[in-house]
Amino acid sequence: MSNENFRRQVNDAIDQISGSPSPALRDRVRSSLASTPATSGSYWIAAVAAVVIAVLLVGVLVVANPLNRRSPVGPITGTNPTPTQSASSASPTAEPTLSQMVCGSAKPVTSSGAPAVAYIDALRTGTHTGYDRLTIEFKNGVPMPTSVEVKPQTGTTFTQSPSGQTVTLQGTNGLLVTIRGADLHTDYTGSLDIKTGYSGLVEIRRVQDFEGVVQLGLGISGPGCYRWFLLANPDRLVIDVQTS
Amino acid sequence: MLSAAAGDTNSFASLIDPLLDPAYRLAAVMLADRGAAEDAVQEASIKAWRKLRQLRGEVGSLRAWFLSIVANECRMTRRQRWWGVLKMAEIETNPDAEPGGASYDLRQAMLKLTPDERLPLVLHFYLDLPLEEVARILHVSPSAAKSRIYRAARRMRSDLTQEEVF
Repeated sequence: MSNENFRRQVNDAIDQISGSPSPALRDRVRSSLASTPATSGSYWIAAVAAVVIAVLLVGVLVVANPLNRRSPVGPITGTNPTPTQSASSASPTAEPTLSQMVCGSAKPVTSSGAPAVAYIDALRTGTHTGYDRLTIEFKNGVPMPTSVEVKPQTGTTFTQSPSGQTVTLQGTNGLLVTIRGADLHTDYTGSLDIKTGYSGLVEIRRVQDFEGVVQLGLGISGPGCYRWFLLANPDRLVIDVQTS
Repeated sequence: MLSAAAGDTNSFASLIDPLLDPAYRLAAVMLADRGAAEDAVQEASIKAWRKLRQLRGEVGSLRAWFLSIVANECRMTRRQRWWGVLKMAEIETNPDAEPGGASYDLRQAMLKLTPDERLPLVLHFYLDLPLEEVARILHVSPSAAKSRIYRAARRMRSDLTQEEVF
């Protein structure tokens, strides 16, 4: 086979593969050129400026740590929102992106870490759009490494400890909040049975405050979806119960 | 060229106008997709316009420079397509190239090559570019370009001699 023969066959093959460009291609190219800046210099400058700003921003965040984050314990997701003073107005503002609600059939959510005594000095409740909130505030620091467990249950009957007597709360489902290495009797002087009148979180009652373990029973109405997280300044455990 | 370098899009469009057809052929063979080939040529034209300063007024290098941008754009298109929509080659059947014909066999053999293997074949056989220009587009030496052309041709037809290729 000659050179020309092979070339012709290759060119035929290429013709078959490519066909001819559409007549509109030239117009497409011309119109796209007309709407494009001549050089990419300005883009480079903008890109470099964006990178510099991003680096400075990250540096400031790392050095100044304006969010004052602590080491995480379990599902800590919070920063330091202004503490609420009113029992019915726990502020949902200035909070981090909150985790998803977990519903009643889910496994208990447990934090990690060794126990330490954390003195509870306030129990507060509040109602917000979509959820009711219980805030358990600690006097002497975030309960780290206190173990926290929030366990959903069907029904609102809890067994008190150490008496062994049962108690039934208002609502249809329950959450048993267990804080190991905690104390509810030294600094806390408020009610041990709080009836909120809210639509989701209807009652909070002490179930156990014995040998460094505090248990609170929560009576809730509705499906029992909830989330919990620890926040600092002041140190507190927050439990949200979904209302709708 | 001077007015194009000064920012006149019409001048630049006129400069690359004769190159659009070869650029399209190159892209269509590399991508085996005519629509994607036109998109690649359009995108390459925009990139060439933005990078025009790199050419430093060397009109003689325009073709090699532009075709290398087109080839790069085709590579990028293929990379994007790897995770995007996988399109099958759309090949129109030429009645003169039915199965069994030499042209048909060559076309099938060419489609089995990688896009980067097809590229030197288009440049050498179809666009009939000098070896030095093929080398510039491939960013290799002329001897390496010659070697690539021959290797790709041999992959299509194993009994080819160098004399039949060059």
